[in-house]
Amino acid sequence: MSLDNLRDLYQQVILERYKKPRYRGKTDPVDRYQKGHNPSCGDTIELTVHLNEAGDRIEDVRFEGEGCAIAMASADLMAEAMRGRSVEEALGMIQRFQNMMQGKDEFPHEFRKLNVMQGVSQFPVRIKCATLTWHTLRAALEAATPQPAGFVSNE
Amino acid sequence: MAFTTAKPLAHLVRADFPILQQQINGKPLVYLDNAATSQKPTAVLEALRSYYELDNANVHRGVHTLSSRATDAYEGARDKVAAFVNAASRQEIIYTRNASEAINLVAYAWGMNTLQAGDEIILTVMEHHSNLIPWQFVAQRTGAVLKFVELTETEEFDFEQYLSLLSDKTKLVSVVHVSNTLGCINPVKEITAAAHRYGARVLIDACQSAPHIPLDVQDIDCDWLVASGHKMCAPTGIGFLYGKLALLRAMPPFLGGGEMIADVFLDQATYADLPHKFEAGTPAIAEAIGLGAAIDYLSAIGMDKIANYEHELTAYLFERLAEIPEVRIYGPRPKADGSGRAALASFTAGDVHPHDLSTILDQAGVAIRAGHHCTQPLHRYLKVQSTARASLYFYNTREEIDVFIQALKEAVEFFGTLFG
Repeated sequence: MSLDNLRDLYQQVILERYKKPRYRGKTDPVDRYQKGHNPSCGDTIELTVHLNEAGDRIEDVRFEGEGCAIAMASADLMAEAMRGRSVEEALGMIQRFQNMMQGKDEFPHEFRKLNVMQGVSQFPVRIKCATLTWHTLRAALEAATPQPAGFVSNE
Repeated sequence: MAFTTAKPLAHLVRADFPILQQQINGKPLVYLDNAATSQKPTAVLEALRSYYELDNANVHRGVHTLSSRATDAYEGARDKVAAFVNAASRQEIIYTRNASEAINLVAYAWGMNTLQAGDEIILTVMEHHSNLIPWQFVAQRTGAVLKFVELTETEEFDFEQYLSLLSDKTKLVSVVHVSNTLGCINPVKEITAAAHRYGARVLIDACQSAPHIPLDVQDIDCDWLVASGHKMCAPTGIGFLYGKLALLRAMPPFLGGGEMIADVFLDQATYADLPHKFEAGTPAIAEAIGLGAAIDYLSAIGMDKIANYEHELTAYLFERLAEIPEVRIYGPRPKADGSGRAALASFTAGDVHPHDLSTILDQAGVAIRAGHHCTQPLHRYLKVQSTARASLYFYNTREEIDVFIQALKEAVEFFGTLFG
C-alpha cells in the first residue's frame, strides 16, 4: 500500500482530532445554528455559533455530527481557528479553505494548522468531506436569524 | 483445504473482462463493488460495437433491411430475457431503463390507479430507495398505508412478523429478493404464496439475485419482478420488468409516445399490444441487445455454476474477515459451504470510518463501496451511519480476497497504532 500518499492525507493532527476532538458540543448561548449534510455519503454536521453582542465577531464555534476522519477533523480545526475572528475575517477564511481544496492557496503562519488539510486536494472525491463544515459555517454566518430552515447540502 | 484439479471459475473467465487487466494506484485492480455495478465481458462490448457498426437503425419502424435486422436483434434479446427468468411468454417482458424505472412503471400504472385510502402496501426495512420512494409517492397520492417487515435477530426477513402484517387490507407486497446491504436471501416463494392467500399482488426486486442465482418467475409465482442489466454484465440504461400477462394487459400505459400506440387520432388513441404498450419512444436498442449478449454469456457459463462458485468465495471471504476482531459484519452468516447468503459483506471496522477505509483500500487498488448503499432507512434501523461493503462476482478470485483482507488489516492498523 502506498502509505506515503496516505500519510499526506491522514496527517497525525487529522487522526488525533478525529479521535479526540476539542470542539465537539454546543455553544452557550446558541446565536446561530446550522445543519449540514452530505446526502451521497450520509455525513452530517450540526454547527452552533456564539457571537459577540454586536453580532460581528465569533466567540465560539462547536460541532456535533457523524462522519469520516477528514470531515470531523476539518470541523474541529475550523472551530479552533474561528474563535475570536470577526465575521468578515471568517468568511474570508472559508473562501481561502475552498481555494486550498482546489490546490490554489494556503493559510498564513497564524493558521498553519489548517494547512494539514492540504493533502485532501490530492483526493478529489474527498474534498466534499473536508468542505462540508465550512459550507455549513458560511450558511450559519450569513443567516440573519439564529435558526435558519433546512440544511446545507454539500452536493 | 480440499485439493482440486479443476480451475476456479474466475481463472477461466478473467480474460473476458478487459477492465480487470489494469492497475489502480500502481496495484492490480481488485474490483469488489459488484453490487453497485458489474464489469462487462468482451462479448457484450462486441455486441454493442457490432450493432452500431453493422445493424444500427430504429426498431419497429422501417421496412428496410437495417431496420429489420435491428428489430430482430432487439426482440431476440427479449426472448433471451424471457427464457432467463422462465417467463411464460415474451410479452411478459417489458424493457425499462433500470429496475427503478420498472418499479415506477408498476407504481404509476397500477398503484396510482388501483389503490385507495386505507389499502396497505407491505415493504421491508431493508428495501433499496428504489423500492421505497415510488410507494411513498403512491401512499401520498392515494392514501394507502405503508407497512414494514423488520429483521430477526440474525438480521434477516422476519417471516412471522410478515404474516402478522398480512390482512384483507393488504393489496401489495413489494420486497427485495437479495438485500444489497445485508446479503440475506428472502424466501420470495413463501412470501408470495402468503400474500396471494389475501389476494395481494407481489413485486420482487431481483437486482441482486438475477446476476447471481437462477431465477424462475413461474416457480416464485410473483406478479411482477424487476432487475437492472448493468449489475449482470449488461450495459447501463437497460433493465426489465416481468409481469403476469393478464395483469400487464389490465394495466393502463405508463409513458405515452411513439411505439406504444395502435391508432392515433388528434384527441385519443388506442395502444399497442404487449410488450410495446409500455415502451414509449425509441428504446435503448443497443443496450437491450447488450443485455441479450450478457444473458448469453452468463447462460453459457451456467447460473448454477456461478452460484456455486460464489458460495466458495463467500465462505472464504467470511473466514478471512473473521481474522480481524474490529470487523462487524451485518446480515446473516453463511452456511459452512458458503451458501445461504449473497457473496457480499457490509461491515464496519472499529474506528475506521467507511469512507476513510475506502480511500485507504483504493490506494491498494481495491474498490469497495462506502456509505449507505441506497438503504438509508436500513442503516438507521441498524443504528449505524454508514458501512463499507465488499461485493463479489464470479470473476473475483480468492487471491483478490487475500489482497483485500491484507489492505483492510493495514488500514485498521494504520488508524489503530496512533491511539493504541
